[in-house]
Amino acid sequence: MALVEIRDVHKTFGRVDVLKGVSLDVEEGEIVTIIGRSGSGKSTLLRCINALETVDAGEIRVEGQKIHSGMPDLKQFRQRVGIVFQAFNLFPHLKVERNITLAPLLTGRIDKAKARVLAEDVLTRVGLADKIDAWPDQLSGGQQQRVAIARCLAMAPHLMLFDEATSALDPELVGEVLKVMEAMARQGMTMILVTHEMGFARNVANRIVFMHQGRVWEQGPPAELFASPKTPELASFIASAK
Amino acid sequence: MRSFSLIDFVSLVSALRWTVTLVVLALAFGAPLALGLAMGRISRFAGLRWTMAACIQVIQSVPLLGLLFFFYFGMPVFLGIQVPALIAVTIAYTLYTAAFLGEIWRGGLEAVKQAQWEAGACLGLSAWQQFRHIIAPQALRLSLPPTVGFLVQLIKGTSLASILGFVELARAGQVVSAATFQPLLTYALVAAVYFALCLPLTLWSRSLEARLDGSR
Repeated sequence: MALVEIRDVHKTFGRVDVLKGVSLDVEEGEIVTIIGRSGSGKSTLLRCINALETVDAGEIRVEGQKIHSGMPDLKQFRQRVGIVFQAFNLFPHLKVERNITLAPLLTGRIDKAKARVLAEDVLTRVGLADKIDAWPDQLSGGQQQRVAIARCLAMAPHLMLFDEATSALDPELVGEVLKVMEAMARQGMTMILVTHEMGFARNVANRIVFMHQGRVWEQGPPAELFASPKTPELASFIASAK
Repeated sequence: MRSFSLIDFVSLVSALRWTVTLVVLALAFGAPLALGLAMGRISRFAGLRWTMAACIQVIQSVPLLGLLFFFYFGMPVFLGIQVPALIAVTIAYTLYTAAFLGEIWRGGLEAVKQAQWEAGACLGLSAWQQFRHIIAPQALRLSLPPTVGFLVQLIKGTSLASILGFVELARAGQVVSAATFQPLLTYALVAAVYFALCLPLTLWSRSLEARLDGSR
C-alpha cells in the first residue's frame, strides 16, 4: 500500500475545472516533485492531500485513511502531515521557539519541560539553533522558511508537503532552504513538492510528475523525463524552464 | 449665591464615581457581548453573520441618547416592565459598547491574514486554539488604538446619563455651576477632570502597543 493514494480526483473552483481526474501514488520514503505551468493544478492537488481543499469527486487516502475536510480526526491527521507554504506563514507575534513549540504543546505531544529542548533540536536540524529567541521579522526569508520547516518537524510528520517553498525567496536565499530539504530527503522523509526548482527536481527527487491542464500528463524518474520527454507539452515546459 | 469652594470641587470629583460605575458596567457586560458579535461577524455561517451585522447596524444608527431614552422611558411603555434606572441605563450603555467594540474587534480579526488560520489548522490545532493563540493576540494589538479611542468616547458618553438623573460628572457640574454662578470655572474643571481620566488611558494604550509589538 502506498503512503498516499490519489484516485481520479476532481476539483472545481466555480466554473474552473482545476483537477480533472488525477491519480497518483506516493510510496513511503519517496521524494516526488510536481512540476507544471501555473494553473496546471499542482498546488491545488497538494492542498487536497491535507484537506485544505475538499475534492469534488474521487478519493485521497493517506496511510490508508480516506481524507476529506469533514473527517472526524482531521486534527490528528494534520499532525502527521507537515506543509510548508510559499509565504512561510510564521506566527509574527511569537518568538521562534514559541512558533515551533505552540502546536506540540497544545496538542499534547510534549510537556512544557521538554519544549525548549525540542525547539533546539529541530532548529539544529535546519541550522538555526542560534535564532531560537529571535522574532520572525528579524530573520531573512530563507531563515523564516527554515523555521517553518522546523515547526513542521517538531510534529514528527510522516509526510511533508512543500508548496513552492522557495518561490518567494531572493535567489541567493534559495540554496539554504533547498539544502535543508535535501537533508530531510536523505533522512528518509516522504516528501511531495510543488516547485519551480528544476535543479532540485532533477537531483533529489525519485520521481517527477508533470501536470498539465488539471491532469498528470507524464511522470517518471527525473533523468528519463528530462532527457526524453514523451509529450510535446513537457518538452516545451522543460525548454521554457531552462 | 455662594462662591466656589473646596466643597464644590469635592462634589465634582466624588460624582466621578457614577461616571466610573457606568463605564465599568458598560465594559463588564458590553465587552463579552462585543467579542461574541465580532466572532459572529466572521463566522462561516451566513445567517449568523447577517444577524450580527443587522444588530450592530441598528444599534450604531441610534443616537446614544435615543438608546438611553428607549430603555429608560420606553421599556415600561412598550414592554410593560418597570426597571430601575440603573438597569435601564446599563442596558443602553452595554448595547452601545457591544456594537462599537464588536465592529472594532471584527476589523482587527479580519486584518489577520487568512493564512494564519490555515497555518494553525495545518499543525493540527482546533479552530478555538487557532483563534485563542494565533488570531486573537494579533487582532488585539491591531485593535488596541481604536479600542482605547472608543473607551474615551464611552467615558465622555456617560455624561448623557445626567439627563436621566444620574449625578455623574457632567450633572454635578451643572449643579455646582447653578449654585455658584461660576459656569466658566466649573465647566473648565469638569473638562479637566474628564481629561485627567482619559489621558492616562491613551498613554497606557501607547505603552501597551509597544509592549505587544514584541519585535521592537
